[in-house]
Amino acid sequence: MILAIAILCGVVGLLVGAVALIRRSDRRLGPGPGTPSTPSTPATGGAPDPIAAYLDRMSGELALPAADVAEVRAELADHLQDSIASLEAEGFDRETAIREALGRLGPAAELGRQIRAAHQSTRRLLAGAGGGIFAASGAFVLGYIAGGFMVAGLAVGLAAITAALAAVGLHLPDLIQDPHGIGGNSILIVLATAIAALAATRYAVRTSASLSHRTPQAFAVFWAVAGGLGFGWWALFGLHGYQSWPTVAAELCIPVAAVAGALLRTERPFVRAPRLAIVVGLIAVIVLPLILFAATGVSSVSVSTTGEATSFQMSDLHLDTVAPMAPTKWLPEAEVISGDYTVDYASGATVVSADRLAGPSSSTPDTTLPIQPLLSNWRDIRFEAWHAISIDLPGPGGIDTHYTSPFAVQPATLHGDSLSASFSFQKYRNAGSWWIVLTAVGPDGHRYRLDIGGGDSTSFNGSAWDWLTAPQ
Amino acid sequence: MPGRIRGQLLKGTTTLLVLTVLREGELYGYEIALRIRDRSGGAFAPSEGALYPALHALETDGALEASWRESDRGPRRRYYKITKAGLGMLDAHAEEWATFSLGMARAVGGADR
Repeated sequence: MILAIAILCGVVGLLVGAVALIRRSDRRLGPGPGTPSTPSTPATGGAPDPIAAYLDRMSGELALPAADVAEVRAELADHLQDSIASLEAEGFDRETAIREALGRLGPAAELGRQIRAAHQSTRRLLAGAGGGIFAASGAFVLGYIAGGFMVAGLAVGLAAITAALAAVGLHLPDLIQDPHGIGGNSILIVLATAIAALAATRYAVRTSASLSHRTPQAFAVFWAVAGGLGFGWWALFGLHGYQSWPTVAAELCIPVAAVAGALLRTERPFVRAPRLAIVVGLIAVIVLPLILFAATGVSSVSVSTTGEATSFQMSDLHLDTVAPMAPTKWLPEAEVISGDYTVDYASGATVVSADRLAGPSSSTPDTTLPIQPLLSNWRDIRFEAWHAISIDLPGPGGIDTHYTSPFAVQPATLHGDSLSASFSFQKYRNAGSWWIVLTAVGPDGHRYRLDIGGGDSTSFNGSAWDWLTAPQ
Repeated sequence: MPGRIRGQLLKGTTTLLVLTVLREGELYGYEIALRIRDRSGGAFAPSEGALYPALHALETDGALEASWRESDRGPRRRYYKITKAGLGMLDAHAEEWATFSLGMARAVGGADR
């Protein structure tokens, strides 16, 4: 409890501190105070204003945040006004007074370089680096929250469009193809993360620039590389969960968003949408889809089931696609091989085991028999994993006859009185629904099936890198 | 230039001069330049081009604080105020200068001979 409160306080402190830092950065990178006495346009009559030209040359060497540049310009313009007025009071004409006042300040470019050096100390550079990391952390959290709202609106909008199209008979293809229905959520979370990455690098650049008294451009490449590498590593190896091509594509958008956040428009604040536009947008994204749902009646769609038991034959499983059943001379009818599989949630592996049982006609049904004798009659005993008809569909499941070979094979190893093997279906791109059968090569040299096997379905679980390097 | 100290001799003294005049109160850039010239009877007239980099460097080091304020006449000015750290820096510089000037006086004028 205390730990939870401490963590909550820490997060709130981080956000408050980051917001304060970001707002301060926005002010420093903004236009600054400026004064009417800082001309930057030619004087009337078309002749270039020597004061403005001097200040422009000096400003060109400053390479400071906009507010600092404006301050320096304003300060020096004030100085020149005072100096010129004083010289005119001493009897100089206006033109000579201006020339003399500018001469006393020295070469414009040199003055600009010296003032820049005065601002850009090593201490400020270190503060900029540290502040950039702090602001990036806060901006990431805030960006994730804002991104969550944005993608939620997007999801509602897409659902409304899908529903509307379905109502008129148009069905969008299932690009995600996730049997457990979590793929869509994965993409939305990843998109929110991409928005957070963009906000993180953007405010890292702006805060670093502000605290170190440098221009955002001075930090853009650094944070683009750091953000691209950091978020790229995270997107490839750090984000674990359901994967699909659309999900992986969305994940690879995260480092791209980080690089874009560091490079694009960092010298200017985000475009501020008018309040009316935000309200209209929210209505369009949330309210209209709800009206659409209500109008089309899609919200009440449900799957109806009759509850009738479906009878099926063994042949419906299409097990002969795998191999013919073992002849009784080598596997007596009084015996059966019974398989079982469990998912090891720690490793994500599906562990398969098979036992030799005294069968239904035996006087001692379901008695486990030593399996070693099998090893003398059979060789190359292995578990084969085949793509299967989805068990979510009506029917018994069984082998998908579109395939002529298993997608994964593991040799059966003896453990006590059982044969076992381990599959990592979660690391296969298209494992989906699968059916596992125990097969072996008999004394006649042909491969036979030793059991009827069993099936289930598995979603891919891993990183984007796991997906990209996964077997089919 | 008679009555004026050559620029080379002034190098390194701008910080001491700026901190000294700001000990008496807040001033803006042009006022600081005038005050130094007036206080030294025209002997010290730091380059105006060197004044602003020195002011900004002192601000970066925390010796000065700057703020924009309305002036008695004319537009808003950027006023400089010496900080506690600046006072410490002034004492250190003044001591350094006293040692230096005494040494120079002895070496050049033979005061102890």
